[in-house]
Amino acid sequence: MKRFEPSRLVPALVAALLLAACGGGSTSSGSGLGSGDLLVGVIAPFTGADAGLGPAYYAACLAAAPSINSNGGVGGRQVKCQQFDTRGEPADAVPAANQMVASNSNLMAVVGCTSDEAATVAPIIDRAKIPMFCMTGQTEFNKTTLKYFHRLVPADIYDAYAMVGSALFGPGHSPYKKAALVFGNDIGSQAFVQPATNAFTKLGGTIAINQPITLGAPSYRTEVAAMLATHPDVILTEALGSAGTYLKEVKTQNGGQMIPFIGTSATIDPTWFQQVKDAIGVDNLVKYYAGVDLGYTFSGPAYDEFLTNLNAAASTFANAPKYKQRGSTLHLYDGIIMTALAMLATNSSDPSVYNPKIKEIANGTSGATVVNTFKDGAAAIKAGKSIRFVGAGGENTFDQYNNSVSGYIWVAYDAQGNEIKAGQMTPQQTEQISNAGGI
Amino acid sequence: MNLLVEAFGFGLVSMSVIAIAAVGFTMQFGITNNINLAYGEVMISSAYVAYYVNRAGISIWIGMVAGALFGAVFSFLLNRIVYSPFIRKGTSQIGMVIVSLAVSLMIANLLLPIVGYDYVSYQNSTGELIHIGSIILTTNQIGIMAVSVALMVLIHGLLKYTRLGKAMRATAANPTLARNCGIPTQRVIDAVWLITGALCGLAGVVAAMNSDSFAIVNGATFLITVLAAAVLGGAGQPYGAMIGAVLIGLITELSAAIWSPEYKEVVAFGVLVLVMVLRPQGLLARRGAMAAAG
Repeated sequence: MKRFEPSRLVPALVAALLLAACGGGSTSSGSGLGSGDLLVGVIAPFTGADAGLGPAYYAACLAAAPSINSNGGVGGRQVKCQQFDTRGEPADAVPAANQMVASNSNLMAVVGCTSDEAATVAPIIDRAKIPMFCMTGQTEFNKTTLKYFHRLVPADIYDAYAMVGSALFGPGHSPYKKAALVFGNDIGSQAFVQPATNAFTKLGGTIAINQPITLGAPSYRTEVAAMLATHPDVILTEALGSAGTYLKEVKTQNGGQMIPFIGTSATIDPTWFQQVKDAIGVDNLVKYYAGVDLGYTFSGPAYDEFLTNLNAAASTFANAPKYKQRGSTLHLYDGIIMTALAMLATNSSDPSVYNPKIKEIANGTSGATVVNTFKDGAAAIKAGKSIRFVGAGGENTFDQYNNSVSGYIWVAYDAQGNEIKAGQMTPQQTEQISNAGGI
Repeated sequence: MNLLVEAFGFGLVSMSVIAIAAVGFTMQFGITNNINLAYGEVMISSAYVAYYVNRAGISIWIGMVAGALFGAVFSFLLNRIVYSPFIRKGTSQIGMVIVSLAVSLMIANLLLPIVGYDYVSYQNSTGELIHIGSIILTTNQIGIMAVSVALMVLIHGLLKYTRLGKAMRATAANPTLARNCGIPTQRVIDAVWLITGALCGLAGVVAAMNSDSFAIVNGATFLITVLAAAVLGGAGQPYGAMIGAVLIGLITELSAAIWSPEYKEVVAFGVLVLVMVLRPQGLLARRGAMAAAG
């Protein structure tokens, strides 16, 4: 029988890689608002273990585009959205980012760039001088030198502290003293482990087990057996894509009983809810789950317009309405609208001109008119007013590194998957955890 | 010590799942000489067929049969419509690998708009918990092991004692000579795609049951484990694939218990690399069922 010869595969693969690496290049023009469609690049995992993330960001763009387009566009230019799949892997993200910036001279902004790929794609996007709104909590961006980088969510360290706060001071239970840390072994999930460990142990808690798990593994039976053997009071977790498999095994091996589990803000997600609901049952999910999230109101004119557009986007992307309470979807929606308003305010499609204006529109200047929609913002700009945009995700206040920091709340799910506010840390508790964690 | 015993029990389940898939894959390669990298995607497609059957209120065990039937028909058509025309044109083996890779990507991307990227679970796929000493298993896991053992016995019987099995082995050893001896090799190959496709489909359902929660992305994950077991045992050798499945299944679970679970796949693939260095042809390359027709 003929046998497979791996050495013959190498030249073919090299040729394929060279072909894949080839791409056209062009540069953007710079005076006035120009003409033709504008593009928002959504660079994120759409396949792979974190495939649930990209669609949430794509939905944000699909909701923001009509808000701009139906109100005159950006100087008449229509905004379009395009996905660029990173597969959640830096190795795949780099060619995706290169292809995105090289092939699209009409990029007005880039959204997405999760912790899976931000470290590799943010410098590429920054070199191309395209404003970006990244959904990464990595501490390396706390004092970034990338001028075009923007972050509308706090660093992961705050997310981790909020989880610890939920374990120690959260409502409806006595303080949990023994925690199991079950986080995926991806870059994004592991960012929570050290700050959570520091804060929890310094406040008298014990880490029963720190268990990094391989995302996408077919089963976690041995991992769960090892975790249960340490008898934790609570599980702190983010293992996107594998949560259902892991938690179902917890329920099975624990005689049908769940252990309370606290998730990061990334677990406030319809995909995550559906997966875990299917795995352990909705009653267990509602009863044993606690999460943390930024304090959204899910109301007001900005949110109303967001929700209307998101529901309308179902004709393009059927799952879009599912993201009505996804924090990242709200924030990126705001980021895209702020970018469009910045272009209008500077009357420029040159990112080096309108990029600084984004921060000004987010933070506002003295006497600025507060606007909640693109339509109102465009009208105010036309009237010669200075504006502050407060969008669907609430107020933004960028620091000198373009990081916008806001506070966390404790949340839960109802049986339909809607987020419910469960409580909030007091200033004293916040200070206690911050000191313990070492902010 | 308890954890090690528990991990051993879990390893038995893992190896049962891997064995079904790996035997199907390696038989497909051993007899048709085609490395079908779309195998993982056929597995996950079949898992979804069973999911829709199960969601209609039908037992997952019936869904498993539906998955196996789908896998058989899908694989058969895949060969007839896609692979065979390329083979008739004399496409090289490397070329066929690339074709199957392309097919794999096409299936995944065609499936995505149908099933979405969300994770789903079968209903009532766990069963009752049973303690056998320190080993904890569910009734459904025991069912999976029973199915796997039964299939291995059937495959052994097919290859050793039936005319079709002997014709398969003859075709695997030398298709031209087999044809000249009057064996209808094309019909044998069709039968191989049907049988291995059924194994593939059944393996997809079993693997999805084993995971409790699955998504389209798992197709690629399944393939890696299946490839590892098949290569470890000796590509094209069903008995080798069985041994490969035992090793991969037990090593991953035991290493998770002894060391960090983060590295359980690293350990399993480390053993694979070690075996490849010491015995590049795999564990059973020259002594397997496909070595010669008897």
